[in-house]
Amino acid sequence: MPEVLVVDDSKVMRDMVVACLRPYPDSHFTQASSGLEAIEQLSLKPYDLLVLDLNMPDIGGIEVVEFVRGQDHLRNLPIIIVTTRGDEASRERALQAGANRFMTKPFTPDSIQGAARALLETSAEAPRG
Amino acid sequence: MTGKGEFAEFLPAYLAEVDELLAASQKELLAVEEAVRKGQAQPRAVRELFRALHTLKGLSAMVDVEPVVSLAHWMEASLRLADQAGGRLPESSVEPLVEGLRAIELRVRQLGAGKAASPAPAGLLERLEALGPQMRDAAPRRARRVVLDADAAFASRLAASEREQLEGGLAGGQRALRLDFVPSSERAAKGLNINTVRERVAKLADIVKVLPLSGAAAGGASLAFALLLNTRAEDADLLDAVGGPPATVRSLEAPAPAEAPSGDAASLPGPAVLDEELEEPEVRRGGGLLRVEVSRLDEAMEWLAALVVNRSRLTRAVAALTQAGAPTRELTAILQENGRQLRDLRSAILRLRMVRVGDVLERLPLLVRGLRRATGKAVRLELDVGDAELDKAVADRLLPALVHLVRNAVDHALESPEERQAAAKPPEGLVRLSCHARANGQLELTLRDDGRGVDAQAVAKAANSAVPDSADALLDLLCRPGLSTRQEATRTSGRGMGMDIVRRIVVEQLGGELRMDTRKGVGTTFTVCVPLTVTLMDAIIFECAGRRYAVSVATVEELIDVTGVVRPAGADGVGLVERRGAAVPLVSLARLLDAGGPGSASEAGQGAKALIVRQRGEPVAFAVDRLVGQQEIVLRPLEDPLVRVPGVAGATDLGDGQPTLVLDLGALGAARSGRRKRAPRVGEWVT
Repeated sequence: MPEVLVVDDSKVMRDMVVACLRPYPDSHFTQASSGLEAIEQLSLKPYDLLVLDLNMPDIGGIEVVEFVRGQDHLRNLPIIIVTTRGDEASRERALQAGANRFMTKPFTPDSIQGAARALLETSAEAPRG
Repeated sequence: MTGKGEFAEFLPAYLAEVDELLAASQKELLAVEEAVRKGQAQPRAVRELFRALHTLKGLSAMVDVEPVVSLAHWMEASLRLADQAGGRLPESSVEPLVEGLRAIELRVRQLGAGKAASPAPAGLLERLEALGPQMRDAAPRRARRVVLDADAAFASRLAASEREQLEGGLAGGQRALRLDFVPSSERAAKGLNINTVRERVAKLADIVKVLPLSGAAAGGASLAFALLLNTRAEDADLLDAVGGPPATVRSLEAPAPAEAPSGDAASLPGPAVLDEELEEPEVRRGGGLLRVEVSRLDEAMEWLAALVVNRSRLTRAVAALTQAGAPTRELTAILQENGRQLRDLRSAILRLRMVRVGDVLERLPLLVRGLRRATGKAVRLELDVGDAELDKAVADRLLPALVHLVRNAVDHALESPEERQAAAKPPEGLVRLSCHARANGQLELTLRDDGRGVDAQAVAKAANSAVPDSADALLDLLCRPGLSTRQEATRTSGRGMGMDIVRRIVVEQLGGELRMDTRKGVGTTFTVCVPLTVTLMDAIIFECAGRRYAVSVATVEELIDVTGVVRPAGADGVGLVERRGAAVPLVSLARLLDAGGPGSASEAGQGAKALIVRQRGEPVAFAVDRLVGQQEIVLRPLEDPLVRVPGVAGATDLGDGQPTLVLDLGALGAARSGRRKRAPRVGEWVT
């Protein structure tokens, strides 16, 4: 029963992500509206997948990834970045920091579902960086 | 273009969130403009504006609204550069950004109306695109040199603009602080988590950055958050906001280096005093808040309404059983308990439907800004609305009326700066909107201007009527459909909505009251009273000429026995009745309703009982035959224009399946007295 944490400062965007991933069997979703809230959630409970926006108040997605990868118990947590910033520099920075997948908005339900499925089913995939 | 695609089902939610983002953007842009005018940086507002537009762009891309994506993209791109420049932008950039927001808003409205969003204007896109190069502005001016404590502030993890904001705060006389909050399950259970802490601290300080810390940096905790702030608040208040120890607070200012300041040509005197009016708490997103579509609340209200009607039927059935001698004591007790529960449920649902008046009015500053530009007048808008709240349905209907009153105040009432100076007034005119909730379930809004006052003679001439002898009569003239004292419509007024529509919204649609007080050369004050909610209400049920009617308890000041009639009703149906030593006009309700049958006592204006209501601020007694009782009712508006009449607020079902009219006695009396000579006023007959 995979626990998924969906992080975006837009409620509609979080709902869209959840709607895309809901078909994944027995998945359970928690939503966070900021990177800080995501970090707090991750310290309180284990998760199997983190879906993360880049531009958020206080700290952005990249900083969340860096922080997460700096924690021993979160070192292998699969992370999908979902962002409006489709530029190559952002992609490079996110993957460098340790994100496993980098997707730009608008995305299709199939694409994010495919990425989540691949990560959840082979969650031993080593993060880069 | 039309919000189609794989996520089309999210369109209503998209529209709701975009509405919120636009409102936040407008507020931040006004703050930016204010700072630009004063030659100051406003990094927080620039960053918030950038983020709102960035979110808007992402959402619009998901629902495939390309014109909004393009507009938001170029605005966001220029604001990103302004953020990197420390939150400064050139004055010339404000207008294109305002236009950009308007263009986005227009397209969102088109989508909301089920139409396709029209393409983004090419000229505007070009102007927005050209903003980027203008944003690389000079370094900010400093009143004094400040240095951050690099370790305490985690300087390496700060963006240039964030560092700039902390130093700018110090230079402007604020303190730059680091406040550390340690989250835990226990604190989360008490409602203290990073989101609520952030909201609480935002009321005391400008939050520049929040950083997660672990290991040694977290002071031994497994996780801590460092909030980097500019503030004038006391340490104790800040610590209190984050739940006290183990939280800590420390200064970020390092001792200034002893070397002489470098001769920086850009350093000019003049501390950047933070403008108090810009210090608003940030728009709350997430963190214990849930956005709900109004249609869902309406649905809950419908079910509640059905329960209320059902309970009325149940009450009647139990009363019939009791009359037939059945043992109903237990049933009655259950029914009473059920009544209390329904009342609590009603309060809970009504509270869900309430919106802050401040949020409803947040677009007015932008409106006034546009009017300033269109009319060339200097105007200051003051909003004093506190924490007052209003039912969403009432707010939606009321806003167009308030917009019209504000537009009228700037366009008609306020003089040009030259005229004002000639009249020994300050060149800048004032429009002040204040409101407070009254104890009787009404909200009173006052819109005051210090302009030239309403010219009664000009209004009379335009209306082809005698010069009115009172403010009420003048307001009646002003509210005549189609009346205008202008020869031609201006750019700002004359958009097909006159004072007649304002009165129709306030009085007929909302069952409220509209008053005016005006003094030549001094100004005009409009007072609008509306019920806080119009769907469910406590009502007094009474009989008049053999029919049942209901009237909102909130509008009735007192119930009296009609005993001391000072003067019976004359041909106009208005008599006088004594109330605590004063004579009050006594109106025959049966006659007003044209329902007086031969058996109606109230036909003579002498029903057994009378309801006292305020009509234009003065008490008037309405004679009725019999009071039936008081109960909660569901008000159904009369949608059909053929059956909508002034003084009838709507209809209700009292549980007997028969529609019962809900009257608005103040409006009914006012509407009918328009056909007759004015009713005598309190005190006029006391000699």
